[in-house]
Amino acid sequence: MGKHNTPMLDELEKGPWPSFVSDIKQQADKGKHILKEAPNDLLGIMEMSYVDKVTHWKHGGIVGVFGYGGGIIGRYCDQPQMFPGVAHFHTVRVNQPSSKYYTSDYLRKLCDLWERHGSGLTNMHGSTGDIVFLGTTTDHLEPLFYELTHDLNQDLGGSGSNLRTPECCLGMSRCQFACYDTEETCHQMTNAYQEELHRPAFPYKFKFKFDGCPNGCVASIARSDMSVIGTWRDDIRIDQAAVKAYVGGELKPNAGAHSSRDWGKFDIQAEVINRCPTECMCYGDGKLEINNAECVRCMHCLNVMPRALRIGEDRGASVLFGAKAPILEGAQMSTLTVPFMKMEAPFDELKELVEKVWDWWMEEGKNRERLGELIQRKSMQEFLRVIELDPDPRMVDEPRSNPYIFWKEEEVEGGWTRDIDAYRKKHLR
Amino acid sequence: MPYDPSNPLQDRITDIGPKYFREFFPPVIEKNFGKWVYHEILEPGVLVHVAESGDEIYTVRVGGARLMSVELLREMAEIADKYCGGYLRFTTRNNIEFLVSDKAKVKPLVDDLKSRKFDGGSYKFPVGGTGSGITNIVHTQGWAHCHTPAIDASGVVKAVMDSLFDEFGSMRMPAPVRVSLACCLNMCGAVHCSDIAILGIHRKPPMIDGEWIDKLCELPLAIAACPTAAIKPAKTASGLKALEVNAERCMFCGNCYTMCAAMPLADEVGSGIAILVGGKLSNRISKPKFSKVVIPFIPNEPPRWPSTVDAVKKIVDVYAKDARKYERLGDWAERIGWERFFEKTEIPFTHHLIDDYRFAYTTWRQSTQFKF
Amino acid sequence: MTEDEAKKAILENLQGKSKTKSKFYLKDFYSMVPDMKPREIKNIVNKMVQEGHLEYWSSGSTTLIGLKGMGKQHQEED
Repeated sequence: MGKHNTPMLDELEKGPWPSFVSDIKQQADKGKHILKEAPNDLLGIMEMSYVDKVTHWKHGGIVGVFGYGGGIIGRYCDQPQMFPGVAHFHTVRVNQPSSKYYTSDYLRKLCDLWERHGSGLTNMHGSTGDIVFLGTTTDHLEPLFYELTHDLNQDLGGSGSNLRTPECCLGMSRCQFACYDTEETCHQMTNAYQEELHRPAFPYKFKFKFDGCPNGCVASIARSDMSVIGTWRDDIRIDQAAVKAYVGGELKPNAGAHSSRDWGKFDIQAEVINRCPTECMCYGDGKLEINNAECVRCMHCLNVMPRALRIGEDRGASVLFGAKAPILEGAQMSTLTVPFMKMEAPFDELKELVEKVWDWWMEEGKNRERLGELIQRKSMQEFLRVIELDPDPRMVDEPRSNPYIFWKEEEVEGGWTRDIDAYRKKHLR
Repeated sequence: MPYDPSNPLQDRITDIGPKYFREFFPPVIEKNFGKWVYHEILEPGVLVHVAESGDEIYTVRVGGARLMSVELLREMAEIADKYCGGYLRFTTRNNIEFLVSDKAKVKPLVDDLKSRKFDGGSYKFPVGGTGSGITNIVHTQGWAHCHTPAIDASGVVKAVMDSLFDEFGSMRMPAPVRVSLACCLNMCGAVHCSDIAILGIHRKPPMIDGEWIDKLCELPLAIAACPTAAIKPAKTASGLKALEVNAERCMFCGNCYTMCAAMPLADEVGSGIAILVGGKLSNRISKPKFSKVVIPFIPNEPPRWPSTVDAVKKIVDVYAKDARKYERLGDWAERIGWERFFEKTEIPFTHHLIDDYRFAYTTWRQSTQFKF
Repeated sequence: MTEDEAKKAILENLQGKSKTKSKFYLKDFYSMVPDMKPREIKNIVNKMVQEGHLEYWSSGSTTLIGLKGMGKQHQEED
């Protein structure tokens, strides 16, 4: 029985899915966190929201660790007398390791740290990928940061008008589809831009995300201002014996991903050949053929027959820019900008590209204007000019349909200055 | 040297970045890095990845509430020590993965995970979330920690996942179904490309705390925060400096409340849930696409949001029954036509579902091809 | 303009406005130091925070910058 009566929240202890209410109660009862009343008071104020149907949090402010403009977000509840344990309840974002592998030893160190300096409650992980420590008071911030950097050799993540904590899929560590080393790229790009991550630099937030292949497990195309998505330029490698084994039923199609339902016998024609968006495959006489020049690397055939088909060997990434959530002009996905870039440490080409983009955005972007909105406002052409890329039909779904081309004077022979008198010699008024 | 409060900047270390990820790799991952050949899902929640060397790594995936206590994290660490040589990882969708290289340990690990329950009775570590099933719902903070939410996040997710629990533990959907929740339309957890998105929305413009606003806030900041320039200076009846909101221009984003707590936005009846469907991120077969609003508003119904749960369940059930293998929810809706989608799901089509914002025209139909 | 002159211009500018407004977007600083590049100004502003003249104010999504200790929100946090 908690400190507060929480009949509404208690309803969320029922049912099979892990109950955050039960977990908070467990922390309240057994936890060794220093802010003793925080879990109970969090339940208390949430119960109040469940009754009122509105939030009881305020946020924002000057709290932070000295010299950093990101990583800490001030939070205050609007009933501090009733719930003193969460009166000040700041968020701490800790930069997660690439693709979120941990040892139990390190996980315990994080727990120890957060018991010494906070509520004992976390998000593993936040939406952008950070380890989120949920709720502490201002006096704990500096000691926490000191121990984080000195004892754990670990830094905070981003918030505010900064580069946000970059994130990647698990890439080559456990996936055969990874077209480049997403984890190393993410780590090196994070370290290269620590200044941008910790101190405000931009008109608004900026996110990198690194997907190893077009399956897009880390959602970069929808969620990052710069989306780096693995791809390849040569041929899909085919193991014809394995293709036959799929056709013959010896291998489980889709790596077993559909196996809880009887979809009938695997039919390579219906499930792979006919599903190919560019119709670039055929199967006959026990042989699969792919017209690789026409392939758009949608990943479907590889996903269905992972033991028969493998990504090509000339690998790199496509770089896309401009995704964002709806605020303000509407949601955007990233636009293909660099069809192919080799992705090898120290990633100079990628760094050079993003720095050009930043310079332009810092110069031209309005307050709180995301890159994708700036590109829309100033035009894709202007964006390409700034990053010094030639236009390419791969960058558009189709050419423009309206003919209102904004010709520049220097593009038109003889410029725009004309001689009206010469005209009048041939044309009467 | 420990932290010295009288000299907080002494020996300060900054800008060191995250831990190097390879310190946390299980040996078999380190050894076979970049050399994985294929994978297979052995049963829902259990995967094997096989390397060129023939080495195998088994992954047991379990769902987690994103809000986790350190007590629970310690329990994960203990499990990782017992079965996995101390290694584990988290996914972008708040699942936890326990990694073992010895096949014999998989079953005891799975059995152990399934046996652990909270005092309240729910599973601590439900196994699943793989393949063509419904994996964990990614979500935002809601009433647990955020100042602009229209809805709670953790509670809605818990209620919806309870109703989808069997789908988390199986793989019988035509294609993966990604469900996401953002508790306001700022979408710090961008959900705009999800098969099913549960989105908190406000429907009432902010109130103005006229007697206090000039004492608590810097008025120019609140004015500047408004993305539609709907806020302008005003005076109260008693002559105090204040602000007023042009209600017709308000898009209910809460940016002004972020800058000024004297402009509260959330409301007991004004705030609630919109449901969007049919988005996707992967490039598989069809291109990535946005989710579309199919239910403009469902009231907040704590503690278990039954109308929202029913709506999501209904959409999932109709889709699962009607779609073809490999068809994502949005692909299915496009093939049958959105008019059929509304018919089959028995969701009423209202004027709120016709776009009237920036790119509206691109969503209207310019064709005589439609279905009766 | 030297770095010191830029700092001085920024401080004077902020002090002049402090009655009505105490917090500014980074971009607002560009016009206070017209002959410097955005990146240089950003670096100077961040340095002035290090030196204790300015401070950050973060809404979580956006960062504002102002004179240290100024502004109405302070009461609430103390």
